[in-house]
Amino acid sequence: MTSLSLKGVRKSYGQHPVIKGVDLTVDSREFVVFVGPSGCGKSTLLRMIAGLESITAGELEIGGKRMNDVDPSKRGIAMVFQSYALYPHMSVRDNMGFALRFAGKPKDEIARQVNEAARILELGPLLDRLPAQLSGGQRQRVAIGRAIVRHPDVFLFDEPLSNLDAELRVHMRIELARLHRELQATIIYVTHDQVEAMTLADKIVVLREGEVSQVGTPLQLYDDPDNLFVAGFIGSPKMNFLSGEVVDVGAGTASIALVNHGGVRLTKPLGASLPKKGERVTLGIRPEHFGVAGAGTDLTLAVDVAEHLGSTTYVYANGGGERLIIQREERHMGDTDTIAVSIPTEAALLFDSAGKRLR
Amino acid sequence: MSLALVRRGGVYVFLSIATFLSVFPFYWMAVGATNQSPDIVRGKLGLGSNLLVNFQHLMTQVDLPRVFGNSFFIAVVSTLLTLIVSSLAGYGFEMFRSRIRERIFQLLLLLLSIPFAALMVPLFVMISRAQLNNTFTAVILPGIASIFIVFYFRQATKAFPRELRDAARVDGLKEWQIFLFVYMPTMRSTYAAATIIVFMNAWNNYLWPLIVLQTPDNKTITLVISTLTAAYTPDYGVILLATVLATAPTLVIFFVLQRQFVQGMLGAVK
Repeated sequence: MTSLSLKGVRKSYGQHPVIKGVDLTVDSREFVVFVGPSGCGKSTLLRMIAGLESITAGELEIGGKRMNDVDPSKRGIAMVFQSYALYPHMSVRDNMGFALRFAGKPKDEIARQVNEAARILELGPLLDRLPAQLSGGQRQRVAIGRAIVRHPDVFLFDEPLSNLDAELRVHMRIELARLHRELQATIIYVTHDQVEAMTLADKIVVLREGEVSQVGTPLQLYDDPDNLFVAGFIGSPKMNFLSGEVVDVGAGTASIALVNHGGVRLTKPLGASLPKKGERVTLGIRPEHFGVAGAGTDLTLAVDVAEHLGSTTYVYANGGGERLIIQREERHMGDTDTIAVSIPTEAALLFDSAGKRLR
Repeated sequence: MSLALVRRGGVYVFLSIATFLSVFPFYWMAVGATNQSPDIVRGKLGLGSNLLVNFQHLMTQVDLPRVFGNSFFIAVVSTLLTLIVSSLAGYGFEMFRSRIRERIFQLLLLLLSIPFAALMVPLFVMISRAQLNNTFTAVILPGIASIFIVFYFRQATKAFPRELRDAARVDGLKEWQIFLFVYMPTMRSTYAAATIIVFMNAWNNYLWPLIVLQTPDNKTITLVISTLTAAYTPDYGVILLATVLATAPTLVIFFVLQRQFVQGMLGAVK
């Protein structure tokens, strides 16, 4: 398998830039996930790697070779599309062997490759069916099979699970993880579903408005986001954000008053990036990090809804015009109108007024 | 009686009238082909026993195999060329982005509004200058880039999944291979519907062949039927028999491709 690199890659449609300079390295056998909201450019970036969209500026290298102007079929990539893109008039067997046929491979070689891919994906009994005779999950497996038979250097997946129902999506997610382990493949995977990104990726690339917001392992992004966008995007339920104002700056600490909670104060230890006194900041805290009242800075919130999921409970609560989600391990919260929680300062993250993380 | 029942009854009456109006001319034509001319003029609507006699008369007046051969050749070649040229154009208009694409397409649609009568004379002058007068090429050539069929294919191509083209590009197909091996088989309902439309138009074409085909050897069935009606005492039995024979191929094509025709008109990509 082969590595891939993007250096200052840009894409514009006329005067309108959609990819604003992406630098990225994908190591051999790495499972990289591009994630971001709709319109952030993740699919465009994948299509540029595939050769389906031209690169306006910058360099794309696959296996150390410049690929900017190379035909898609000669880049050593295979792509799995969101809509499966199976040829409707061909059987599963013909769909999977189509690329090899056009590459001039002998018939017995094509049959061998197709049968091998069918074995891996358990498609054997379906080989003579037409795509219209398959379920969504089966079609997706055929689309993956079509990619596998080409033995590409890099697999590209463009939101491959989006058209599947929730249960099948979980099943296929596990299948993909197994496949990655079995094939030892380099995979670039696009999704807007951060759960898919967290569960599948070795490395996540969070994109926003055509730019890379942050690159890191799933847990790095979860625990140590660089900015407010990544903090809010990664994690389900989302991170809670509380508005604050810096009321005092000491040696390696900043005292923050939570402006919507009666000026409740907490002191946050920080490193080099200290805010200025009077600066507006945002305090981020994940739902599971709230402590029981009395253990630090306490807030009392009005309970709106409690979701009992069996193993855990999510409490949706309001306070000072801010809606917060609190995770509790109790199976039953009981009938309660208010909840008192504490914010452990070591778990809380601080962001400046531009949304940049203060560490 | 409920309002729904009255409504449904009204629909049935309307559909029955519409069916009668559609089917009766065919019935009259078919029955007329079996009757003598005086019976037809008198308005006889039952089957007659004059079919073989009408057929013999038709065969003595017209070289049927040649005339049918001419019509078939023109209709089949026209259909093939029109489908290839117009579907390529429709595919191109929809698949390739260009700043002037819509302008050119609008111009083409504007040309649809020019009646053929206005084009007839300049077209004849062009054909004559190209020394194609009295040839099948003269009949076929002006019709193969049909704006209506280009428009029809462009609209149908909007339903063609772009990801199929992308997948084919990744699979190593050139554009012409994508058109041939992916687009054409996927759009077969559209092709079937277009086949019926183009074949019928070419088969029934009268005015342009009348202008450019002069010798009897080159005449098509529609031209021959018109010469039968021009006789001093027209034999309506013979004329209607010729009309039945002329209608048969288009009916056969329609019934063979009927299912795909409906799908194609609905814009379905299966």
